[in-house]
Amino acid sequence: MKTALILIQILLLIAVSPLVSGIIRKIKNNIRMRKGASVFQPYYNLAKLFGKEEVVSDTTSWIFKAAPFVVLASSVCALSLVPVFASTLSFSNMGDFLAIIFILALGRFFVALAGLDAGSAFGGMGSSREMFISTFVEPVALLSVFAVSLNAGSTNLAAVSAPAGLKLSSIIASLSLFVVTIAETSRIPVDNQETHLELTMIHEAMVLEYSGKSLALIELASHIKQVLFFSLIAAVVIPWGDFALKMAAVIAAVSLLEVSIAKMRLFRAVDLLSFALVISIMAVIVSAAGY
Amino acid sequence: MEYRDEIYIDVKPEEFRSKCLELHKKLSSPVMMYFAVDEGPGKKAFSVYCAFLDWAGKRWVLVRMQLPEGQARFESISKDVFSAALFEREMKEMFGLEPEGNPDLRRLHLHEEVWLEGFYPLRKDFIPPERAQKAEGSYRFKKVEGEGIFEVPVGPVHAGIIGPGHFRFSAAGEPVINLEARLGFTHRGVEKLFEKMPSAGSDDAVSFSERVSGDSVFAYSTAYCQAIEKIYGILIPERAQYIRAIYLELERIYNHANDIGGMAVDVGFTFPNAFASIIKEKTLALNEKISGSRYLKGVNTVGGVNRDLGGSERKVLLDFLDGISKDFRELKRMLLSSISFMDRADKTGILKKKTAVDLGIVGLAARASGIPMDLRKTFPGVYSAANFKLVREEEGDVLARLNVRLREIEESVRLIREFARIMAPADISAAKKSAPEAGCGIGYAEGWRGPVLFWIKTDASGRIERCKIVDPSFHNWQGLCFAVLGNIIPDFPLCNKSFDLSYPGNDL
Repeated sequence: MKTALILIQILLLIAVSPLVSGIIRKIKNNIRMRKGASVFQPYYNLAKLFGKEEVVSDTTSWIFKAAPFVVLASSVCALSLVPVFASTLSFSNMGDFLAIIFILALGRFFVALAGLDAGSAFGGMGSSREMFISTFVEPVALLSVFAVSLNAGSTNLAAVSAPAGLKLSSIIASLSLFVVTIAETSRIPVDNQETHLELTMIHEAMVLEYSGKSLALIELASHIKQVLFFSLIAAVVIPWGDFALKMAAVIAAVSLLEVSIAKMRLFRAVDLLSFALVISIMAVIVSAAGY
Repeated sequence: MEYRDEIYIDVKPEEFRSKCLELHKKLSSPVMMYFAVDEGPGKKAFSVYCAFLDWAGKRWVLVRMQLPEGQARFESISKDVFSAALFEREMKEMFGLEPEGNPDLRRLHLHEEVWLEGFYPLRKDFIPPERAQKAEGSYRFKKVEGEGIFEVPVGPVHAGIIGPGHFRFSAAGEPVINLEARLGFTHRGVEKLFEKMPSAGSDDAVSFSERVSGDSVFAYSTAYCQAIEKIYGILIPERAQYIRAIYLELERIYNHANDIGGMAVDVGFTFPNAFASIIKEKTLALNEKISGSRYLKGVNTVGGVNRDLGGSERKVLLDFLDGISKDFRELKRMLLSSISFMDRADKTGILKKKTAVDLGIVGLAARASGIPMDLRKTFPGVYSAANFKLVREEEGDVLARLNVRLREIEESVRLIREFARIMAPADISAAKKSAPEAGCGIGYAEGWRGPVLFWIKTDASGRIERCKIVDPSFHNWQGLCFAVLGNIIPDFPLCNKSFDLSYPGNDL
């Protein structure tokens, strides 16, 4: 029974994940005094891509073909570990917080390899930048997670997300995890999903060579990863209050942030992530002090 | 002739180089135009012209030499004057004239891969090669060698709605060591097409000039009309001059708004971009309301303008200016008060004054690097009545080019108000000349990007014998290639947008 519920939860989250992207785009466009596409546009895009023929460069190896599946699998797998609607609703006895970070790292590793595989200059630049950014993102993610784990006395997600009072350390950790989320979902100020400028891209540059179904898988994986990080903040790091409200707050914060500032210069993004690192260390200290 | 703003100095071929160097030093002017004319057909003789701008004397100085019949080479000046280099490459591919001593004679517009050797399209006796013949040349990019240097080829097909150009970056990690732009993909043979126009003074010819570069319609048609008016000795009424100046400034406003928004979106700052798009659209809508065309087509005619700015249009225009200057203040505040935006724009893509002078950078980019160059200052005409103030910044970075735009918009708004106040009701067009005249002349206009120059030679039947066009982009692409050096690759789009150069204007 519980397994069935968990499966339903995972399928539901996968099903709504493109909608979250659609809503963010809609909000952003409305702020920019534009009508914007329908919130269901990401679904139409996926449907279109699934129906398209694929073009694969003949200089690529099996990695290029395997990467979309690895990425999607890693996102779904990591998602299954996150308890969202109730603290018991996840496969969290099979893996903890650290497992999520490392499973996602596997996906990232494969996309970066695939970016290099086709031998195009853009893919290489994208992979190099992604790896550069992730060296700063991963420690911040781990430290933020440690702070909330200290609160619960365990890195097990079910234990961490068990309903409890609002703690100061959780709020601080959610801030640093928010920066991680921005970087992981390739949003401004770290990356820019909307740009057409290949030279400025990070994530998009790595997947420029993809088309058709493979691209659809990668896009779906990105939507899922985004929902995963949003739920981590909303359900796990702050185990207090209404989930839907917290989710809406994260979505609103992301949309507002994206329209109100410019993207940072590539090397300047490190400053932001170092700042997040300091916050996450602070969260650990505050948590160790018992707040 | 009432026009006294150009003089010709005839020299022998062996004196040409020394005369050009002398003028280049004396006038401290880059080579503004440098082109050949086929004196044929059947006569295998060429003359070469080199134009400098005499700022103090307020005139164009053209050095002219007549090459002896059958001689298709001349002494290059580009080793001493860098701004002449591209022009010489152009003469080589278009006329087959060999600039002796120029180390770089690669093709510019007629790419080695598609255009056969030995066909020179601007010669009078040119016959196009047969389609079946295949060209087999190749282009050599400058190669940077060293540990960890890699090349990033970009274009000519881009992801956005931009013109085609190929950019070859040599980078060590992210910093750019060398950038080479290969352009010419939109070469349409504009100069040759002008020679096919049945009548230089007709509205068809003016209309064709409007279509050379789509974002500078009015600057092009003004420069073209002016060249023809000078040759035909037509003096245009003062009111027409005012109306031309007003439209020239409106063109500047909408393009500057577009660029400012473009610079914001290139750093992912989308809100100001949306705002700038609204300003641009308002300006285009106004253009349509008062001139009948969003991009100011069909306004100019040889001898004046086609449509008057009457009382009701004048009111629409003045109301628009009030609204637009408020919008621009808001846009300016938005950008300059944003730390994240300023961090990207400040000290990015610096083009030093010395480099800009050596490369012969013109127009907006030159003014952002501290060079006080503006044809509206050198040849004020009606601008003197409105007390035109030249806008200049010293830094030469992206922020300086942004600031020049922001300040020029303020100045444009002020100028238009002044013009509308001063201009008196009068004719808007001079009487049409019955007989065309043979002659040659320079037409020029300070477009939003910089000086748009036409040099035209007509024959007695009213046809154009030679039309040479120089767009500011032709000089300034070089500036961009130097400005990005040392910057990181992801900053290139921002640097590029801050220059916002034209592909069709360059490629012709």
